[in-house]
Amino acid sequence: MVKKKIAKVLAFRYKILAAILILLAGGLVLLPKYQKHEGIKPDELVSNAISPERYMTTDRLAHIIINQDPSFILIDVRDEKSFASYTLPNAINIPLEKLFDEGSDSYLNQNQFDVVLFSNDNFHADQAWILCNRLGYKHMRVLKGGINQWFTTIINPLKPDENMPAAAHELYATRKAASMFFGVVYPEQVKVEAPKIVKEEPKKVITVEKKKKAAAEGGC
Amino acid sequence: MGPLIPNGVIPIEWDNIIAILIGIVFGFVLEASGFSSSRKLAGVFYGYDFAVLKVFFTAAVVSLIGVYYMDYLGYLDITQLYVHPLYLWGAIIGGIIMGVGFVAGGFCPGTSLCAVAIGKIDAIIYVGGIMAGIFIFSELYPLFQPIYEGYFYGNVTLEDSLGINPYWFVFIFSMIAIVAFVISDMVRKKTKKIFY
Repeated sequence: MVKKKIAKVLAFRYKILAAILILLAGGLVLLPKYQKHEGIKPDELVSNAISPERYMTTDRLAHIIINQDPSFILIDVRDEKSFASYTLPNAINIPLEKLFDEGSDSYLNQNQFDVVLFSNDNFHADQAWILCNRLGYKHMRVLKGGINQWFTTIINPLKPDENMPAAAHELYATRKAASMFFGVVYPEQVKVEAPKIVKEEPKKVITVEKKKKAAAEGGC
Repeated sequence: MGPLIPNGVIPIEWDNIIAILIGIVFGFVLEASGFSSSRKLAGVFYGYDFAVLKVFFTAAVVSLIGVYYMDYLGYLDITQLYVHPLYLWGAIIGGIIMGVGFVAGGFCPGTSLCAVAIGKIDAIIYVGGIMAGIFIFSELYPLFQPIYEGYFYGNVTLEDSLGINPYWFVFIFSMIAIVAFVISDMVRKKTKKIFY
């Protein structure tokens, strides 16, 4: 009896399977649609935003530039005018409003280099950072304090007085050396020492005595 | 979350191992469902056995629906999936050659290897033919290169090129599958039964 019932149902098995298929496929069409989240997830963005990796100090950047580290790209997000007047060595200018133009994509969306964004302070650079991170671009960094911080720490470091700790003096020495690398000239460098006059020693004349020619002797 | 390997859930080093495991299972299923018999495979063309059509069409529809449901529920990012690039004329000519080979030899490349594994002599000759074909193609590659690399349309899907809503496409595709199954069943009932 039971077997008969099962056989009755199984006779329709292909129709049942077809119905399931139609239901599932139709379900896809009828499901309510929602706007999909593109780019990285919000929690990832937050964890990137609070990560200490996000910011780079000016001292670290100076170290990188001086050592000619090839794994970094510097990107200036200020406008062309500011870029033309002053920028960091080897920086590329991608103004914030042109961030997603065709040409800039190859600099930003890549896996090989660390990208350091900077602007006058870190405000515009941070905006660029958020936009790029939102799209899932990797290895984005922001120069902490931007060009202003760069100027007050590297180019024109504040001289510590005698009461400050040794570390401050060491830092000052490093920054001073860095600033010299970037072309700052200090007064003590300019002091010209009195040129020493080196007396030339008179040339010694060594006379070579020539061998006297032997008188011809008889041959064989 | 998915796809698992691009998102680092499974390390990329597992790639080949997973591929081998899937290959073994695929080969086993092919053999278990009788696909290593050229008579069964050729049945599609003569109208006495539509197992090949049904199996592959069902597989395509089921995976299509499954992928779209997983994408909808957020388990899988459909944009990260690999889409095979389209070289239009290369695909058309290659498809014709493969179709002719399928009718003539009674195997497709995958099932022929499956049949070699169980020692079918016709399959061994068939694979020899495949190797000869590969050799000729490689030797004459400069001649074929313009077709092989030309007419490139990028990694497009049917939804892109038809400009149709993917969900509707899935629905229409499943309808086509069901209609194809019904028609193939009708054809099979009309043709003479062949025992093989």
